[in-house]
Amino acid sequence: MNARARNAPFAPARLLGLLVAILAFSIPWIIHFHDLSEAGHRVFAIFLMAVVLWVTEAIPLHATAALIILLNILLASNVALIPLPKEDAAPAYTMYFNSLANPVLMLFLGGFFLADGAAKYGLDKNLARVLLKPFGTRPDRIILGLMVIAAVFSMFMSNTATTATLMAVVLPVAARLPAGDKGKIALVLCIPFAANIGGMGTPVGTPPNAIALGALNKAGLHVSFIEWMMMVVPFMVVLLVFTWFVLTRLFPSKAASLSIDIQSTFDRSPQARLFYVVAGITILLWFTEPLHGVQSSIVGFLPVVVMLATRLISDKEFHSMQWSVLWLVAGGIALGDGVAKTGLDKWLIALADWENMAPGMIAGAMCITALLFSTIISNSATANLLVPIGVTLAASPDVAISPLATAIFVALGSSLAMALPISTPPNAIAYSTGAVQTKQMATAGAFVAIAGLPLFIWVAPWLWSLMGLVK
Amino acid sequence: MNQILILCIEDESEVRDALVRDLAPFRPVFRIEAAEDAADARTVLREAEAAGDRVGLILCDHLLPGQRGVDLLIELHREPATRATRKVLITGQAGLDDTIRAINQAGLQHYIAKPWQPADLHAIVRNQLTDYVMANEEELLPYVSTLDGPRLLEALAKK
Repeated sequence: MNARARNAPFAPARLLGLLVAILAFSIPWIIHFHDLSEAGHRVFAIFLMAVVLWVTEAIPLHATAALIILLNILLASNVALIPLPKEDAAPAYTMYFNSLANPVLMLFLGGFFLADGAAKYGLDKNLARVLLKPFGTRPDRIILGLMVIAAVFSMFMSNTATTATLMAVVLPVAARLPAGDKGKIALVLCIPFAANIGGMGTPVGTPPNAIALGALNKAGLHVSFIEWMMMVVPFMVVLLVFTWFVLTRLFPSKAASLSIDIQSTFDRSPQARLFYVVAGITILLWFTEPLHGVQSSIVGFLPVVVMLATRLISDKEFHSMQWSVLWLVAGGIALGDGVAKTGLDKWLIALADWENMAPGMIAGAMCITALLFSTIISNSATANLLVPIGVTLAASPDVAISPLATAIFVALGSSLAMALPISTPPNAIAYSTGAVQTKQMATAGAFVAIAGLPLFIWVAPWLWSLMGLVK
Repeated sequence: MNQILILCIEDESEVRDALVRDLAPFRPVFRIEAAEDAADARTVLREAEAAGDRVGLILCDHLLPGQRGVDLLIELHREPATRATRKVLITGQAGLDDTIRAINQAGLQHYIAKPWQPADLHAIVRNQLTDYVMANEEELLPYVSTLDGPRLLEALAKK
């Protein structure tokens, strides 16, 4: 397909997706459900439509997000075109618009500025080379080094940009390996896998984390940057080491050593130095929230202001930021708002008999559902659909699990999906190199998921309560 | 499926076959077409346009029967469908004047002197197509394994 055909709005597959979305949307208008308010019916229609649109990508993901905001306002707010019955809660339409300025998005925007600055001044590539030096030249050591770097970078940069940057360094190395050396596969897979895992590590690591944090904030639970890291980084490290072990055993290299270009030349211009300082201060403030009490979203706005004022980020670079990611997260927040404010959440949850299920099983089911969904569809869309339900579920008195753990489980579960080239953009990059086959990716990805799930479901709640972070 | 086309224009059938054969590494991702003169090239271009393919690279000999290679390239450079196409002259007999005209008026990107070395040809074609793809395509990933992967990935990281 060429660019034009791919972008044609009415390709047959797209039309089919739209048709199914309209059908899904009309179900709650045709069938009346007991105990569900009129407002709940309308938001249910929007929810079903969102599921179909996010799964089929009949329209761009962020367009679905914008559509959710508009439909919530037109159908389920105080300015609804067909007014809601008096007894129904009619949320102010501004609540839906406000999702576009949610504090979590400001935190994320701060992350964008740091990541774009790092790429602009070459900090990412130079740091990668400096950090890679101590790992030596043995293939398995180099792979470990690459994984540590990819994970650390993707805690602050997008997983996709991290993978693309590091893969550009690794491709020439992989190409020098003799044909048939399995080490190639490990080299090419270690970066996206480490980036996917590293994204779990901080609130700005990947959009599902932001979606989880946003929902938790709405439920009155504030999680600081460092608290998130304390909860997740231990598991991130264990998963990284495990993944390294799996990749180097499944795909051992016969080469005795690899030569990788580790010449670093740091940009010493005044602009670059200013950026290093701004990035350093921002990250330091994020890490020390308990000491100064300034929330991470407010800290995240600091690099935005400084880098715009000093033109470290030019007008053109500002315009070409990944705004679509922020809109996608906002759509999820608006969807969650609608679901929570109209009572749809309680109705959905009342459909199952939760009291007779073990709390661990429920949390595990959320994590597994997130993993399965996000193997096929976008991680952010998965989190957008599952986080609101999970948090409500956890907040209901019949269910003995913590909303905090549930929201984080969904975020982590969606980042754990790395079995297919379509699972995440980093996987697609690895696949595009031609050095790895889907079967090999699926085998390694399945190992990671199978190790990750029990780690989260059984070990995490225990460790978190031991640390006093979750009741 | 719509593809990016590489068009080789060369009147001597042996040379033409050798050229197409040497471009084999690009075949799985790109469509390679050959034409023996300007008129034949026009036919190929019309068909490509009808099929929705875009032309990424033209490798053109100068001494063709009928319209000369440089004149054809200048014409094609003025047409919207082939404006962005990378244009390479592959010849032994283009004089200085013709070559200057090709650079100034046809946006000529490279000059390959016959006989070529396959390795040099690969490097030049890879480079030209990478430039074309980076400037004109939305999706870069399909080209990573065939073209200059590191350059494409760095461009992707900056997006």
